[in-house]
Amino acid sequence: MAATSVPQEVQDASTAYDSVWAVANIPTQGLSGMEQVMLSHDKLYVVLAVVLIIWIGIVILLLRNDARLTSVERTIEEQGIPSDDGL
Amino acid sequence: MINLRRYTLIRNVILLWMSVVLCAAFLLGIPKINILEHTARNLYFHVPMWFTMMAAVFVSAYHSFQVLRSGDIVRDIRALQAARIGAFFGVLGLLTGIVWSKFTWYVGTDVWWNFDPRQSMVSLQLLIYGAYFVLRGALDDPSKRARIAAVYNLFAATTTPFLLYVIPRQMDSLHPGAEGNPAFSEITHPIMRLVFYPAIIGFIGMFWILYTQRVRMALIKHRVTHDPEL
Repeated sequence: MAATSVPQEVQDASTAYDSVWAVANIPTQGLSGMEQVMLSHDKLYVVLAVVLIIWIGIVILLLRNDARLTSVERTIEEQGIPSDDGL
Repeated sequence: MINLRRYTLIRNVILLWMSVVLCAAFLLGIPKINILEHTARNLYFHVPMWFTMMAAVFVSAYHSFQVLRSGDIVRDIRALQAARIGAFFGVLGLLTGIVWSKFTWYVGTDVWWNFDPRQSMVSLQLLIYGAYFVLRGALDDPSKRARIAAVYNLFAATTTPFLLYVIPRQMDSLHPGAEGNPAFSEITHPIMRLVFYPAIIGFIGMFWILYTQRVRMALIKHRVTHDPEL
């Protein structure tokens, strides 16, 4: 028991868990290509990305709704309910 | 069941309204703020997602409460569709938030996700709603499903304000409104409020359109198959 715990404590005292302190300047790499694009024009493209995410979300919802509508329509046809909607 | 004339009128107004909001969001000048720069315009898109989700949660919980009172299957349809569209806006809010944070909080790092309390709690809330949809799938009898799902949905609605607003504000977070971080009310310029408030109304209107459409579809499916699950 003692034989295993002693080296453990030595290791705890001698090795740092992290190479930098949280308050120190964390080394950051240069801007990646994507960041160079997104940060240009005063970061305007970030707004574009956000609007596109919302737009794509609405499109996906639209397509899913279409699929559900199609399946309901198919059920109606299978049940032989006459359609008199004039379409 | 649904007043189609009223629906069409409100839908047209909302779509026109959102078009104007979209133009104003990009055309009106905004004060320059360090780090934020033009991403401050995300205030018009990212923040209303959460207002909309909250509104959806209220609608959903209200109808779930009515299910427990009356057992009306139409109320169950409304509760489910409001929760679905609410979760949809929640996912959009989370995704837009990830993109916004990447290019403000995490510039110069590879970090996209750092378990910020705000984001973690919101993910948890979305998982709670995910369980609601899974729970519904596990129950076959529509009237039994309506009641059990209503009870769970009321639980999910109760946790929402805490996980979205209360707990993240008690913790250290980079998100505005947390400890040592100014909230919206103190710093936002009047010109941004001019677009922000209409954007909230517009997105809640968008929720109402999408929700009503799906309720109409579910009602048709219920009439044809006697199963309202959509």
